[in-house]
Amino acid sequence: MSQDRVFSFDEALARVDDDRETFQMMIELFIEHGPKDLVEAQSALDAGNALGVARSSHKLKGALLQFCAPAALHACKELEESAKAGNLANGAQLYATLEQEVQRLLVALRQVYDKGMAA
Amino acid sequence: MSFESSATAAGPAGSPPPHTVLVVDDEPTARLALVARLKRLGYRVIQAGDGKAGLEALRRERPELTILDWMMPEMDGPSFCEYVRQDPELQTSQILMMTSHDQPEQIAEGLARGADDFLSKAASKYEITARVQAGMRAATLVRRLKDATEEIRQKQEALEQELQSAARYVESLLPPSGTILPGVQMVHAYRPSLGLGGDLFNVVQWSEDVLGLYLLDASGHGVSPALRSASFVTFLRKDSLLRHVGSNDPGAILTEANKQFPLTESGHYFTIVFASLDLRCHTLSYATAGHGGALLHRRSGEVCWMVQPNLPLGFDPSTSYVTATLPIGPGDRLYLLSDGLYEFPAASGELWGRGRLEKTIQTLGQQPLKTVITETIAEAVRWQGHEQFPDDVALMGIEVAI
Repeated sequence: MSQDRVFSFDEALARVDDDRETFQMMIELFIEHGPKDLVEAQSALDAGNALGVARSSHKLKGALLQFCAPAALHACKELEESAKAGNLANGAQLYATLEQEVQRLLVALRQVYDKGMAA
Repeated sequence: MSFESSATAAGPAGSPPPHTVLVVDDEPTARLALVARLKRLGYRVIQAGDGKAGLEALRRERPELTILDWMMPEMDGPSFCEYVRQDPELQTSQILMMTSHDQPEQIAEGLARGADDFLSKAASKYEITARVQAGMRAATLVRRLKDATEEIRQKQEALEQELQSAARYVESLLPPSGTILPGVQMVHAYRPSLGLGGDLFNVVQWSEDVLGLYLLDASGHGVSPALRSASFVTFLRKDSLLRHVGSNDPGAILTEANKQFPLTESGHYFTIVFASLDLRCHTLSYATAGHGGALLHRRSGEVCWMVQPNLPLGFDPSTSYVTATLPIGPGDRLYLLSDGLYEFPAASGELWGRGRLEKTIQTLGQQPLKTVITETIAEAVRWQGHEQFPDDVALMGIEVAI
């Protein structure tokens, strides 16, 4: 999947008024915290803790909104809504989709980051 | 997560300090994006990673606006709002709740628990800017209102102190209860309606055998009538009366007072009852001006009202006030009273009236004068159902033993 299909660089940058320095810091933060949120969601899922799954996915969703990453965002919302409804029957499947999409996003963001943010 | 701070640069030299926004969100990427936007808008920004740290920051920094995530560890957004709204020191802070909860019932819950407005996490930068600016306008207005309220409270407090000081002065003009001449005892009660009354009474000692007694009532309530009454009391001092009137005759005194104290520009006036008690001749002379008069309660139990229908002082400078004279004997009691003691309603609207006052005094009969005064006031209070009279209340009782 190409970078543009994982997230919209232009749209995400526009959300921060083309402030490239801020956007770079956001990528750094997400590379650090995104995987942790995934781990927390996974742990809660393993423990059958629906509230914990909802919290972790809700937190992750806040970050995904900033990057205009529709597939990851959709997967995250599905898991959050299912967990809020107390339904973890499809939790593993929803989580797997989310993890896959977040990993794709992380790869795409790293590429952008490594290329440098200079205009 | 502990509190983090990231203040922006201050505004240009000479400009007012920038408004402060507190951002409370446990998700660092979204928080960073919002903080950066707010800084670009010129605000000073502080931030916290959870509700508990946010509350500490709010208490310490008192930001105008708090932007708050709904779902957070330690303390969620709605709980944060409840804490803020219960704390009088923090109530002026505006709270903008960020949420993806856009169901009407969830928004209603947030508002009910103390949020002022909502902001979708997916909101555009234009909407974020508009909502923040609207919140800041509301915060500015609320704080101005709070400052104005505090200023009014301080001025009111200063005014109350002035009034209390004036009230102490007015009460210092009243005579002490006790024996005012050998064989003549006086007891009084004074209940100004606003802390500072326009009713005043006193005793003028003409000689070892003759006493002047008066009770005056300046129309209106508060500072102005109290000042006018104090001025009138000066006129009613013995040396002043001798100079202006040259007589202790009540009618002559009121006739002269009528000239000295015309209606004010705002139409205010005095009513008064003035009596002279002559122990040598055993007579009680009196004159009234627009006043409900005095009550003479004889030892025999008979009651008579001492009143003459005529104008209050100041209406017509040509008015002559006439003195009437009654015999008085040992054990007789004279009560000078203001109309505030009988012209007040019960909760039903029915006035207590002169009849009930007269009957109360008659029923109390020859009990000690102090008891009669105290119980008459107490009975009046029972009738109206509360302690605060709508008008000034003064009651002066004089008992003649010889």
